[in-house]
Amino acid sequence: MNLLSGLLEMELLRIWMKLSPDFRERLGLLDSTLILDVPLGVISRIEKMGGATSRGENSYGLDITCKDMRNLRFALKQEGHSRRDMFETLMRYAFPLTHSLPIFAFANEEKFNVDGWMVYNPVEEYRRQGLPNHHWRITFINKFYELCDTYPPLLVVPYRASDEDLRRVAAFRSRNRIPVLSWIHPENKTVIMRCSQPLVGMSGKRNKDDEKYLDVIRETNRQISKLTIYDARPSVNAVANKATGGGYESEDAYPNAELFFLDIHNIHVMRESLKKVKDIVYPNVEESHWLSSLESTHWLEHIKLVLTGAIQVADRVSSGKSSVLVHCSDGWDRTAQLTSLAMLMLDSYYRSIEGFEILVQKEWISFGHKFASRIGHGDKNHADADRSPIFLQFIDCVWQMSKQFPTAFEFNERFLMTILDHLYSCRFGTFLYNCESVREKQNVTERTVSLWSLINSNKDNFKNPFYTKEINRVLYPVASMRHLELWVNYYIRWNPRIKQQQPNPVEQRYMELLALRDEYIKRLEELQLANSAKLTEPSSSPASPSQMVPHVQTHF
Amino acid sequence: MEFAELIKTPRVDNVVLHRPFYPAVEGTLCLTGHHLILSSRQDNTEELWLLHSNIDAIDKRFVGPLGTIIIKCKDFRIIQLDIPGMEECLNIASSIEALSTLDSITLMYPFFYRPMFEVIEDGWHSFLPEQEFELYSSATNEWRLSYVNKDFAVCSSYPPIVIVPKSIDDEALRKVATFRHGGRFPVLSYYHKKNGMVIMRSGQPLTGTNGRRCKEDEKLINATLRAGKRGYIIDTRSLNVAQQARAKGGGFEQEAHYPQWRRIHKSIERYHILQESLIKLVEACNDQSHNMDRWLSKLEASNWLTHVKEILTTACLAAQCVDREGASILIHGTEGTDSTLQVTSLAQIILEPRSRTIRGFEALIEREWLQAGHPFQQRCALSAYCNSKQKWESPVFLLFLDCVWQILRQFPCSFEFNENFLIMLFEHAYASQFGTFLGNNESERCKLKLQQKTMSLWSWVNRPSELSQFTNPLFEANNLVIWPSVAPQSLQLWEGIFLRWNRSSKYLDEAYEEMVHIIEYNKELQAKVNILRRQLAELETEGGTQESP
Repeated sequence: MNLLSGLLEMELLRIWMKLSPDFRERLGLLDSTLILDVPLGVISRIEKMGGATSRGENSYGLDITCKDMRNLRFALKQEGHSRRDMFETLMRYAFPLTHSLPIFAFANEEKFNVDGWMVYNPVEEYRRQGLPNHHWRITFINKFYELCDTYPPLLVVPYRASDEDLRRVAAFRSRNRIPVLSWIHPENKTVIMRCSQPLVGMSGKRNKDDEKYLDVIRETNRQISKLTIYDARPSVNAVANKATGGGYESEDAYPNAELFFLDIHNIHVMRESLKKVKDIVYPNVEESHWLSSLESTHWLEHIKLVLTGAIQVADRVSSGKSSVLVHCSDGWDRTAQLTSLAMLMLDSYYRSIEGFEILVQKEWISFGHKFASRIGHGDKNHADADRSPIFLQFIDCVWQMSKQFPTAFEFNERFLMTILDHLYSCRFGTFLYNCESVREKQNVTERTVSLWSLINSNKDNFKNPFYTKEINRVLYPVASMRHLELWVNYYIRWNPRIKQQQPNPVEQRYMELLALRDEYIKRLEELQLANSAKLTEPSSSPASPSQMVPHVQTHF
Repeated sequence: MEFAELIKTPRVDNVVLHRPFYPAVEGTLCLTGHHLILSSRQDNTEELWLLHSNIDAIDKRFVGPLGTIIIKCKDFRIIQLDIPGMEECLNIASSIEALSTLDSITLMYPFFYRPMFEVIEDGWHSFLPEQEFELYSSATNEWRLSYVNKDFAVCSSYPPIVIVPKSIDDEALRKVATFRHGGRFPVLSYYHKKNGMVIMRSGQPLTGTNGRRCKEDEKLINATLRAGKRGYIIDTRSLNVAQQARAKGGGFEQEAHYPQWRRIHKSIERYHILQESLIKLVEACNDQSHNMDRWLSKLEASNWLTHVKEILTTACLAAQCVDREGASILIHGTEGTDSTLQVTSLAQIILEPRSRTIRGFEALIEREWLQAGHPFQQRCALSAYCNSKQKWESPVFLLFLDCVWQILRQFPCSFEFNENFLIMLFEHAYASQFGTFLGNNESERCKLKLQQKTMSLWSWVNRPSELSQFTNPLFEANNLVIWPSVAPQSLQLWEGIFLRWNRSSKYLDEAYEEMVHIIEYNKELQAKVNILRRQLAELETEGGTQESP
């Protein structure tokens, strides 16, 4: 690790570290260059190291573990109890919830010229998809979160299912998360539905309403006689879930459905996998057996399984012309990964900056991915078994896709990294709390700023210059291990030995070229204007070369 | 010998061709002396034109009367031909086998190839040692051209003209040659204009077990040192290997005899170790089994990236000695024809902006590989599918290209050429219609009269129409030394070579096309701006003349 000495400053939001003058001189820096800027929200754990009797340099101080793949160690002087004060202040502000303090986002008074909370309007988004139509209706049955407290107020369900039917189905689905529509194919009208597992239990309970409901869904599609169900879990886990009252759709009860398991592991497996990734990249990159160490984390293998699952969903809907129902156990982790990635593959709209924001807002935030529990915002309980990098894994999958299709996405790598940084920072309200009902109670949209306000008011910073808008192209990434890479720029960015990543030079150069193009076009227009002004002067000679003036083509 | 004797069945109808990325196509298979041709006899369909010399290995199998030949190419592509009729199939297979392993170089295709293009510049004369030397002579007069090897008598693997310290006469060179492996006395490889430091290369000194020394050798390399300065000798072998070499008459420079030099040992692998690494790597890349887990372990077990890392690390070390330490260096391994050349050429890519241009890189290949006597004929006769246990088969040049690709990937705007250029060089080193990579050294090439009888690769590559596909649209001359990272996560598998037949690069090509497109468009716009500006100027002067009278 690098050793630096300096002055530590703290705000409500972040820790800053400025270099002390003698260090500055040693490094030949003129101003008090900021060398550390850590949002307090990113802190996962704070520990004291060493005691009053500790000897040796840098053996006394604080150890800080972060949620974004780095650790910090502050060595302090033993005199004057400075550590105790610092420890307590840090604990208070890094974990406000534990100390009954408000999360920073509520104190954030930043102003942006765009309101990110306006980005997602469910009615508009469903209208964009062509909904409601004669098979699908919008229901407000969950307006006050009475049907399901982790679902959004507005849901799309089959036209032929009454609100009464929905209530009965809810009784048979874990946490009342009934099958609802996520996406409809614009041409063949097949749909992607999401839900939680059926409450089959050990005794193999059945529910006529649920069976009928799935049949109604199936019947909205006349091209294929079966409904496809993707259970994201490994089959063993699905069976094991029966012991706790859950389970999966049996063939007997659902003869018109085909069930496939996608073998994606649960939140605990993913958490342990990411921990191993951190072990091999921070503080030192495992040098001698890098590839096999990377393999032993299984991180890329999990990425592969998630992507493969999403490809199957997308392919089933697009080429197989079958409607698809996706669930896992509760339908808020793996299910969200699968539906949102499949939608990203199928619908080019979600590959634009705003489209992607809508996708995250819809499939993740509104449908109750438990961000508060998975990330542990403001909570000191770092070993909480509910924490898991599910959303990070989704963003990683998106990054893998953007590598394979460099022209398909409007956003760049920085966009994805910014989303991840603010997943932890608590500067914005976007990722706070577990579901819409709590957000509404906390008045999040009124009391906090949206991350999309930051991004959309600086859109140029997040644009991929290679983006070529193409409608209706379905993207199938290659989900083979050979073609997946570790996202080095994200996972290894804090390694002290890695020089700070410059912005991608190819992207940079391309931006310059685009700027050059715009300048040429502008100059061309000016010259054309000047020329034609000259030409229209009555004194101009009749043999003017006006035919030679080329046209400005603006086919870009 | 007539090729006809080897071709028992020159033509078979109804052959089905399977190849990567294309649907199977049925057509007529023809064998000629140098090509395997499949024609579907329809317009607008791709045909197969495969050089026999590109074939690395073939497998055949039969299901009833239908025979199948699986052709594994030196560029790692695998194609399959379904041939009706057992006899035809056997005949074709044995002909391919014979034609792809011709003993005599003069029967190879370059001796028969007649170019369909107009030669603008004869590539055989594009990179003459005298011209290369002129680039240095403006900066230094401490070096001279020596013709001591003009009839290849002093060193059979050196070119007729070499660059040596001015103060050392030819007589001394002859003596030094007897003290260096293969007669490869230390010669200039690179002169760093910034500080006057140099990279020299040679074969190992023949000290043997009794510690033989050679005053002229010491004098020669000391002549490159400034007063009071020390130099570095980079031995590409580990100390252990170098010590073992003494038993066979080789060895390394003893401190006592070379007090002004610090010796550093690195360990770059050679020969069959590299060959086995390549075989394992290509095997892993081609593994089509559905649950390809443990891919990363297999990739690691091939050790290919470890070799890349070793070579790059040594090249960085060499470049560091020259640029940062301000010291001259001598590089050698055993013969000085393999790992030595990898290091000297890569160090130049790092240090010398010119070697990152197309012309400069070609000159580098010419100087540091062809004229320096890398035995292409031996090293590149076979590739990853052949199980020959010949000691001299080794992907030394491919590893060098891979290292260049790694640097190119890390500095995507600093090279005038693109990845396709490197892939093209790889292909032509293994199978080509051009004579450039034939033979093991200049002496052999002279005897084969390649300049008269074959076409140079550079004659073709340097035509503007060809150059466009090898030019990096993002190139911006970068006059700095570029330091590549050799951290494990910075080195990647070269997909363009090893997974080339595994996944279509269509979408990546699209982004590339976009870039080429906008550069073209910018040029167009610039031209229009210029036209308009000129018109405006004309109009203004007209207006002026009208007003003045």
